[in-house]
Amino acid sequence: MEWVRCFTRNRWAWALVLPPLLFFLAFFVGPLLYLFFVSLHVESQTELYGSRLTLDNYLRVAGDPFYLLIIRRTLTAGLAVSGLSLLIGYPVALTMVRMPASRRSVFLMVLLFPLMVSNVIRAYGWIAILGRRGVVNNLLRDGGLIQAPLPLLYSVETVVVGLLTILLPYMIICLVNALLTVDRTLEEAAQALGAGPLRTFLHVTLPLSTPGIASGLLLVFLLTLSAYVTVQLLGGPQSKMLVGLVYDAVMTFIWPRAAALAFILLGISLGVTTLMLKGLRPQRVQGQG
Amino acid sequence: MRKESWALRMVDLLALLIILGPIAIVMLVSFSPSDFFAFPPRGLSLRWFREFFNLPSMRGAYLLSLEVALAASILATVLGTLASLFLARRRGAVVGVLNALFLSPLVFPTIIIGVALLLFFRRVGMPILPGLILAHVLIGTPYCIRSVLTSLQAFDVSLEEAGQSLGASPVRTFFLITLPLIRPGLLCGWLFAFIVSFGELNTALFLTGPGVTTLPIEIFAYLQFQGSQLVIAAASTLQICLIIVLVLTIERLVGLSSIVR
Repeated sequence: MEWVRCFTRNRWAWALVLPPLLFFLAFFVGPLLYLFFVSLHVESQTELYGSRLTLDNYLRVAGDPFYLLIIRRTLTAGLAVSGLSLLIGYPVALTMVRMPASRRSVFLMVLLFPLMVSNVIRAYGWIAILGRRGVVNNLLRDGGLIQAPLPLLYSVETVVVGLLTILLPYMIICLVNALLTVDRTLEEAAQALGAGPLRTFLHVTLPLSTPGIASGLLLVFLLTLSAYVTVQLLGGPQSKMLVGLVYDAVMTFIWPRAAALAFILLGISLGVTTLMLKGLRPQRVQGQG
Repeated sequence: MRKESWALRMVDLLALLIILGPIAIVMLVSFSPSDFFAFPPRGLSLRWFREFFNLPSMRGAYLLSLEVALAASILATVLGTLASLFLARRRGAVVGVLNALFLSPLVFPTIIIGVALLLFFRRVGMPILPGLILAHVLIGTPYCIRSVLTSLQAFDVSLEEAGQSLGASPVRTFFLITLPLIRPGLLCGWLFAFIVSFGELNTALFLTGPGVTTLPIEIFAYLQFQGSQLVIAAASTLQICLIIVLVLTIERLVGLSSIVR
């Protein structure tokens, strides 16, 4: 029976992984490489792209104040959303970690459920709250505080609030997972040695939870970068972000420009990921840095 | 100390309110009898649900979303299980690379996947519906892998070896021993792939077309071009209800809380 085991261990294993591998190569790696290839070509009226190679699609963005403004706005929004979600999410995660396990899993389900609801519905909820006929304007008018509805929608701030509420559960779940691995005896030791609750938190709990902070910040930031529908519904045309530019280029069939903008978005994601991992060094908690 | 815990409780409350509030309001408003948004609603009615089922575009989008999610999640579960069986049983650099590749759609900006696939499908002449399903398979597979991998890592490989040493073929061993043991992970992975596909926006934005529209995209188009009519609230409530029913069913069958960790 030795050959069975050998077969199972090797050729079978490769036969198993072949279908998913081919699928990922054909519909993930391949299309991305093709997109990159197209981003290096000139535009064309009749074909998907022209035949001449060029770097203009990238250089144009770097030299255009309009594009730079949008990139700066996208980065600011991403930092605001991820920073605020950390500020609000951390206390919630602390509360959840101190709960008994059974209550904690109920809470996790409560956090998981909104993530299953489509973002378009959650953005619609904010329109129902902040719109011209929304909850806030109705209450203020019925209370006689305003005559005409306040314009609460269509600003970068609304987008930040909307995305914050949509992405906050991701941050909390990341933080809870990290805080659960923190050894409680370390906190007790700090307190036994005379540190107050605040000092214990700042010098023991907080540093030990950096892996959770890093993964939470990254997840929220990356998801903010690729949000289109929420930005469009809550921000309107004057709060356009990088994704909106990609979408516009695709809808006008300017493929090389759309491709270049997509890779600039990807480059920004990778850059911010690298910076964040360098700054927070989450791996030092696991004793590898 | 007491003041501190009071402040903590306020932040918790605020977080729950901003996370769940918008969803609760949408569900509440969908039962409103009036023509326009009114909060609190004056009475209860099913008027907007009737309206929803009378609109062919909405009804069609709901059915199409179900079809796409069902097809994509089943394919993703098959691919994800195959990949996990490989990843769980082998060691080495190749496994690390493949693991990173298979899980990367989780953090990769989905909007870029959408653009890349649209361009690629244009190039090879892929029809709209299969293209959309393939995109959702790609996005759902990592969820299945994570979930199946967790249950594979929890169980004893010697059980499989015992099956094979007693003369069962690898295929027979899989169906008699491995499959029943990883069933919870399989179901959870399928559920996640289904739900992700059912609410997905970023690739569907590019990969839907005339006559082939999923419910989230139909809602988005309605909000953009016809304003916020209450039939959207009804559509949203129907989507949320389907999710709740699914989650409760799977929770009854296997228990979901195991995969959050």
